[in-house]
Amino acid sequence: MALARVDRLTFTYPDASGPALRDISLQIEPGEVVAVLGPSGSGKSTLLRAFAGLVPHFHGGRFDGRVEIAGHDTRSLRPAELAGIVASVFQDPEEQIVLSRVIREVAFGLENIGAAPDEIFERARAALATVGSEHLADRTVAELSGGELQRVCLASAVALRPKLLLLDEPTSQLDPDAADGFLGHVAGLGIAALISDHRPRRVLEHADRVLFLEDGRVLLDAAVPAAREWLEENRPAWLGAAANGRVALHAETVCRLEGVQFAYRAGLPVVDDVDLKLRRGEIVALAGPNGTGKTTIAKLAAGLLVPDAGTAELRGRSGMLLQDPTRYCIRERVDEEVALGVGGDHARARTALGALGLAGMESRHPRDLSSGERERLALASVLVIEPDLLVLDEPTRGVDPQRKVELAELLRTGAERRATLLVTHDEDFAHALADRSIVLGKEPIVV
Amino acid sequence: MRPAAALALLAALAIAALLAQHVAGAAFVALVLFAVCLRAPSERRRLYLVGTLVSAAGVFVLTPLIETIGSHPIWTGPIVPVLGQIDVTSEELSSAALNALRLAAVGFAFAAYALLLDHDGLLQAVRFARPAALATRLMPTLERDAAGFLEALRGRGVDVNGVRGRAVLLSPLLASALERGLNLAEAMEARGYGRAGRTSVPQPPWRVRDAMCVALAVAIVAAGALWL
Repeated sequence: MALARVDRLTFTYPDASGPALRDISLQIEPGEVVAVLGPSGSGKSTLLRAFAGLVPHFHGGRFDGRVEIAGHDTRSLRPAELAGIVASVFQDPEEQIVLSRVIREVAFGLENIGAAPDEIFERARAALATVGSEHLADRTVAELSGGELQRVCLASAVALRPKLLLLDEPTSQLDPDAADGFLGHVAGLGIAALISDHRPRRVLEHADRVLFLEDGRVLLDAAVPAAREWLEENRPAWLGAAANGRVALHAETVCRLEGVQFAYRAGLPVVDDVDLKLRRGEIVALAGPNGTGKTTIAKLAAGLLVPDAGTAELRGRSGMLLQDPTRYCIRERVDEEVALGVGGDHARARTALGALGLAGMESRHPRDLSSGERERLALASVLVIEPDLLVLDEPTRGVDPQRKVELAELLRTGAERRATLLVTHDEDFAHALADRSIVLGKEPIVV
Repeated sequence: MRPAAALALLAALAIAALLAQHVAGAAFVALVLFAVCLRAPSERRRLYLVGTLVSAAGVFVLTPLIETIGSHPIWTGPIVPVLGQIDVTSEELSSAALNALRLAAVGFAFAAYALLLDHDGLLQAVRFARPAALATRLMPTLERDAAGFLEALRGRGVDVNGVRGRAVLLSPLLASALERGLNLAEAMEARGYGRAGRTSVPQPPWRVRDAMCVALAVAIVAAGALWL
């Protein structure tokens, strides 16, 4: 018997011009791991929210059709009442953490569903152990990295012993090995799971079945082998990008770090004795596990941090794109936001917006843009200043494979006029774009 | 020590400082609380300590100019419309020091509460627990957001200087806080918050040491009222 059943579901958000989900019917079997793929805005997150009952109870809107989980109609049970049967992990761990201490945070959901008080800490510790994070139990959430927080969120969901796990971009902040480990943990739980992810290659290794959504409809519902064939034929970008054929010009040095050391806390250097040279025309990828100091090196190169020891030289102007696109929502209008970096020059701002496909959106509020549009706005805000050194920190977080191809194309345009440093966990993107890669670890490897 | 007992001690010290009538008494309490704050990591305590010290310094500077008490002038200044003759007396200086130290003590007590106490445990049993716990986390979150906005601006070559420059961040900070609040509310609902039949992790037993702390807190308040 199916664990979950969706029957002719069509859903429209309040004030939206069209439905986010259109006439969807499917069912999920117990223990089945399903990869939910599709471009940004295709309805993946909305579908996951429908399984959790958050659509329509939390978001409102028009809901036609039926979603049933373990025999419960989601229209008659509030999301809080479905908790325990389903459990969700959302994209940004920072926005789902409630309490200060890890063990209390994992216990929070157990308290809510009325678990026996004597069992709560025991179950919370067991859940942390399941995701390989028992050592974090007594730490405060403020001390944890993004990857560690994602594991804590997964433990909070697993602790509820749900029948269905809903994971929305759960590995967005993890390096490739950590992401692989995370998905391996999920697949090994024996719990049915729906995993939405923009790095499909890895998810496909752990999934039993694939749903591919586009424009709110299910285009594909198939087992993984058949899905691979379909993707190869119809959406090849989803199976990995092609290698780049660009030849770097290797001209003057724009940025040079020599013997650089930096510590946020005295005595605990994050970056120690690092050398890096970036030449005009080349694109360099900086990769490595979480916590190896990639972002710190990027900020040192861009001049946003000053090294404690060693030399950091920058010839010309730097521009750095940070991970979080909401940091580029300061002004009330899109064109004013972009013009901020060029002294209010609206003509340059309009050109930059046009280059990123945001023409016609000049008068909109940045926060009214979709997540994909916000990412492009952030990039336009940095590219408009025409930097000699462009530093990009995880520019593909939350970006679907088709848009990654477009982004790589865009970054190649004009790359000969600047040096580009790309910090990324996305191996495919780095492979497609970079001339050389530096993999940080105990001993850095240059590829 | 149970967080409730520690909170009682901090509250008692703050109340004692507010009740103190002598500069030396208020200074002693403020110093004790300052020393407690030094147990927090330096990068986290800096904002709280600087904020408290700047506010206390402001009170110390402004009070003599606004108050008109005492008959032993130290300095006589110009006549200012509305305020009248500006002067500073030794009594006003003493009053300013007392008020500044009281404010400093209350600020340090809050800093110690925010930086050192286990809020989850403290607020667990109370109905308003979760909103209060979330409100306590608001300060560091806003601080992190503000730093993120500033960094993004610097990454675009825009330097933000002075109070006026930073004022442009107020609106995006508010918008971020509202957006974050909505996302958090959704996540909490998905985790069963608000459902009937909620249970709670067992509270650690109340020990003799905790009872002694509460008794000490009462004694500190009494000392503040009678002797400080």
